[in-house]
Amino acid sequence: MISSHAKDSFERIFRKAAQSRLALDSGDACDITPLGQGETGASLAGDVVVLTISSIVFRLILVIHFDEDASTRDYFARNAAERPFQEVFLEICNLCCGAMNQELLRYFPDLGMSTPYVLHARCVSHLEELKPGYLSSHAITINGSVHLAATVCVCAYAPIDFIADVSTVEETSGELEFF
Amino acid sequence: MIEQYLVAALGSSAVTAVLALSVHRVSRAKAMRQPRVEAGVRIDMLSETNAQQSALIDQQNQQTQELEATLAQLRDDLANQVESNEEIRVSLDAAVEVREQLAQHADRIAAEALRLKSLGATFERWHEQMISLMTQNKDMHAKNQELSSIVRHVVIVSLNASIEAARAGQAGRGFAVVASEVRALAARSEELSKSYRDSLDISDLTTTATFQDIQAGGKMITASLASVEALANQFQSKLHQAST
Amino acid sequence: MAKILVVDDSSTVRDEVAGFLRKNGLDVDTAVDGKDGLSKLKMSPGIKLVISDVNMPNMDGLTMVEKIRGELANNAVNVVMLTTESSPAMKERGKAAGVKGWIVKPFKGDAVLEAFRKMAS
Repeated sequence: MISSHAKDSFERIFRKAAQSRLALDSGDACDITPLGQGETGASLAGDVVVLTISSIVFRLILVIHFDEDASTRDYFARNAAERPFQEVFLEICNLCCGAMNQELLRYFPDLGMSTPYVLHARCVSHLEELKPGYLSSHAITINGSVHLAATVCVCAYAPIDFIADVSTVEETSGELEFF
Repeated sequence: MIEQYLVAALGSSAVTAVLALSVHRVSRAKAMRQPRVEAGVRIDMLSETNAQQSALIDQQNQQTQELEATLAQLRDDLANQVESNEEIRVSLDAAVEVREQLAQHADRIAAEALRLKSLGATFERWHEQMISLMTQNKDMHAKNQELSSIVRHVVIVSLNASIEAARAGQAGRGFAVVASEVRALAARSEELSKSYRDSLDISDLTTTATFQDIQAGGKMITASLASVEALANQFQSKLHQAST
Repeated sequence: MAKILVVDDSSTVRDEVAGFLRKNGLDVDTAVDGKDGLSKLKMSPGIKLVISDVNMPNMDGLTMVEKIRGELANNAVNVVMLTTESSPAMKERGKAAGVKGWIVKPFKGDAVLEAFRKMAS
């Protein structure tokens, strides 16, 4: 039910959002490489942040794996000494999903996004239970030392076909739009 | 001789008289001809004037007739205008009536939209209920964890029991059997606990995914309802504005 | 007395935005959701600018703005939304509620500092 154009589009939208939002500074290197079928959940122990974008015809679940080791914690909590790591990281995942939401809004008029929730990484191996039409995982490395992974899972309730153009340069985020 | 003279005198006076008479007549005729001519001229002039005035009168009659015709036409037009004004007034009244009804309808739509918007409150309720479901799940995880650790402990205890049984030699044989049965049971509990943990993981995932779908779907619906409410309010104020 | 009120259910965002503004010499108070924002605004009449998220529990940002203009009858305070939401429908609702400006997260302090300063003076 999800056309190959749509699958490619979801992939492109995810890449753009991950690239622009997971790294704290635009200068940081963010490498995104696809993972094979079996590598999804088992690649990391630890926890995952789960977010959902819902539309009338589909729901998209974004799962970001993280391991709260020293390098991850140092990287994300570096600007925020007093704030707990998980809060900072949840906000970043929220921004990443928000960026995907904004792109998707160009093709699907009514969308809603959930707040993030933390689960154990074991849950990811059960994503098939949701009967997704599209399931893809990527390994993400920031500055060579921070290791994350992300899984995008889309369940379709009607045929989905669209072509996403992610070439438009960012843009208006952070700027004040006066009414 | 006087008689001749008298006759001559009479004759000359007669002739003179006749001459005078004819001169008189001629001059009288002339004189009469003059006024006659003059009269004729005057009559001609008067006839002309008369004719002109007749023409004018005719013209004026014609104009009067035309004016009367125009007046009649105007009266007709006025009558028609009054009639169509009446019709317009009737349609206007009908339109005002329709607008009134539309305005009332718009009020009702706006009120419904407002009411629907407040349905957003139910998402808060579902949110709380889902949080409590997730908490329940966490609770089950914790209990399962504890069960797992108890089971591991039982395995250790059963191992120790086997060791003690071996030490007791023959007398411990019955005890050894029980100890190994306990170990087998513990192993099965361990398996069950792992499988239960898997079920909990699936439950966690589906509950989270459903919860988030409801949360996100709710926002999508609330956004659409707010947009409907804004449109309804705009429509409502446009209709009410038009009546002032 | 605080001139600016920052409303967001995430303490990360509250600390980031309020911290940045305070570092630049502005007087800032914070609230954790729409309800809290309303009561803080009621208590501090000196607040000239409210910076608020949209998605919050207890009362969302746009409902809070509608109540600020409605129940509180306060049309003087400037309100700017700071949120991940960018749908036109939501912006329309904000505009109708009397929101003055819209910022899509992430927060970039330097880009908006001057505008905030002006709106808070």
